[in-house]
Amino acid sequence: MLEMRWHSRAGQGAVTGAKGLADVVAKTGKEVQAFAFYGSAKRGAAMTAYNRIDDKPILNHEKFMRPDYVLVIDPALAYIADITANEKESTKYIITTHLPKEELINQIPKLKGKEVYVVDCIKISLDTIGRAIPNTPMLGALMKVSGMFDLEYFQNAMKSVLSKFPQKIIDANMAAIERAYNEVK
Amino acid sequence: MEYVGWDKVTTGTIIESFSEPVENVAYVRPEERPYSPMNSHEASVASWRFIKPVYNRDICIDCQFCWVYCPDTSIISRDKKMIGVDYEHCKGCGICVEVCPTNPKSLLMFDENKPNEEALSEWPEKKKKSKDK
Amino acid sequence: MAEKYELQEVEVWDGNMAAAHAFRQAQIDVVAAYPITPSTPIVQNYSKFLADGYVDGEFVMVESEHSAMSACLAAGAAGGRVATATSSQGFALMVEVLYQASGMRVPVVLHVVNRALASPLNVNGDHSDMYLGRDAGWINLCSFNPQEAYDLTLMAFKIGEDLNVRLPVMVHQDGFISSHTAQNVRPLQDEDAYKFIGDYKEVDPMLDFSRPVTYGAQTEEDWHFEHKAKQHKALMESVSVIDDVFKEFEKLTGRKYNRVEKYMMDDAEVAIVALGTTVESAEVAAKELREKEGIKAGVVGLRVLRPFPLEELKDALKNVKAVACLDRSAPGGTLGMLFNEVSAAMYHSENRPVINNYIYGLGGRDMTIENLKEIFKEAKANADAGKLTTPLQQFSGLRGPKLAFF
Repeated sequence: MLEMRWHSRAGQGAVTGAKGLADVVAKTGKEVQAFAFYGSAKRGAAMTAYNRIDDKPILNHEKFMRPDYVLVIDPALAYIADITANEKESTKYIITTHLPKEELINQIPKLKGKEVYVVDCIKISLDTIGRAIPNTPMLGALMKVSGMFDLEYFQNAMKSVLSKFPQKIIDANMAAIERAYNEVK
Repeated sequence: MEYVGWDKVTTGTIIESFSEPVENVAYVRPEERPYSPMNSHEASVASWRFIKPVYNRDICIDCQFCWVYCPDTSIISRDKKMIGVDYEHCKGCGICVEVCPTNPKSLLMFDENKPNEEALSEWPEKKKKSKDK
Repeated sequence: MAEKYELQEVEVWDGNMAAAHAFRQAQIDVVAAYPITPSTPIVQNYSKFLADGYVDGEFVMVESEHSAMSACLAAGAAGGRVATATSSQGFALMVEVLYQASGMRVPVVLHVVNRALASPLNVNGDHSDMYLGRDAGWINLCSFNPQEAYDLTLMAFKIGEDLNVRLPVMVHQDGFISSHTAQNVRPLQDEDAYKFIGDYKEVDPMLDFSRPVTYGAQTEEDWHFEHKAKQHKALMESVSVIDDVFKEFEKLTGRKYNRVEKYMMDDAEVAIVALGTTVESAEVAAKELREKEGIKAGVVGLRVLRPFPLEELKDALKNVKAVACLDRSAPGGTLGMLFNEVSAAMYHSENRPVINNYIYGLGGRDMTIENLKEIFKEAKANADAGKLTTPLQQFSGLRGPKLAFF
């Protein structure tokens, strides 16, 4: 069982990202789960979304999770949200920031000694999609860090997930995924 | 009506209007309709009356007011012509008399036990308008 | 004619999307709805299917849930296949008409996305609404995940509309935990789903003008009792149709449903009895306890809450020494409903396990695997002692000093 927690603001696409990831992973024959804590359900409010991936049907419906990956798609939430909650020794963090990794860790001491990766999903999405929707770039970074799927396979799978959108938007998302895949450190 | 057990009551407490299908029911006269025993048409409420409306054909102008207002559809009218009162379903409420516009009225309430011929023989004269007094 | 919807062999749907597709595939004549969280996406998705040409039936937006159920009931009495969805406060507002629908034997399908009842206001999942409607004379089918929410919605039409049943059917799924959780769902293709359900069979339709019928008659003490007894009998006897439909569905999909679902109960010493997603989480907990602590734990889930599967429950619990009944609804001054009903079943059983009650998960409070393990361990202590070692009623996952009653 692979478990992931997304930290996001409502409206940034964490739920869409979690469901998109679930969609792609399900196509490989795995069992998936994607859900979210909606909290006050206001646009901009801090929220969390979750993925579970397994080879067997997923029976666990608890919201509690010790995540293998923590994906932070809003830069401020790295500071103000409890991103290390219920972590394991092996938990990997992928954090959206414009800062170099060392500087971010210096500013957030609880990340010291953790396996942390950084990528600027906000800038990438602004450059490619034209809006601060950092979910698809985060998925690109996750593919690189986790080695779950290679870039081309993942991009093709995401194309079918996004098939209802205009070609321009699909192309922009593909570019965002590729940049994040290459830029995550 | 027989008080049957749970095994004999209708499913969903539905009540059939007729005991067999009737095509174009709007064109079938009530006396020709195969009313089901559960239809309220089959229940007489004549005994509810203490007083009854008696109809006087000689004065009636066939305005249909009584037919419209009767709460128990007990005014019998055919082709917009008044025929009389359905005494099986009339409860003697007197609304038909209230709404009758003729002078004197074409429907009047009489004691339930008074024969209609006698009632007709006692019919009042036309009332004079107040300015003629 | 509605267009065929292209479906993959495996879709990733949340429970609401799953229910919406089941509605679409059933080719419902009239859906009348007043959306409410967390069931909103069912009718929202359905109305989008309609707008996109995938639905032929009527979709009626009404001004309250009372009207939604009234419109469904009326359209059903008129002679059409009908369904709607609701939750919580909306369900509460429907209650009056729920009794009308079952009394008139109109097979409305109501998908209930279970949510807490105010006050305090809460949009998250618990079973307060399910418990509120449990005596309304409906068949109650309970799903534990999005796949089952889909499957049971398809089956609800076939069960309720069966000429030997003719009763309205509720399908329950947990608000958010199932309704907003995307999981693998293996849908039927449109034509297979519709063929399984079959055409709607009209019974005493009001729109048959050659044979007019009255719905909603008044009965007093001289007739009411006979009608309610007949209605209860129909509900009790719907089990054979429910079993047949479950079997037919298994033939079609390979997915097996039972009125009482058992997990690892063959040699179980202790068992949890629960409803909804908790059934599956309890399976995870039971498995871990078996592997790591050697506790022979099992789980019993009620697939059909009404008609109550008393004999099947007795059978499922015939070998256990202790049972924990988990109620996800504020008990309002007594023990939880599952405790009461399971105890009633076991009172006349040869096996008389120690039974206790847990209230949990109100307003969406997380039911964790750890909580479930604790409950199993207390049941194990009861089993070892052969008597209650805890109060009869406890609260799992509650903050503050320990609260217990009886």
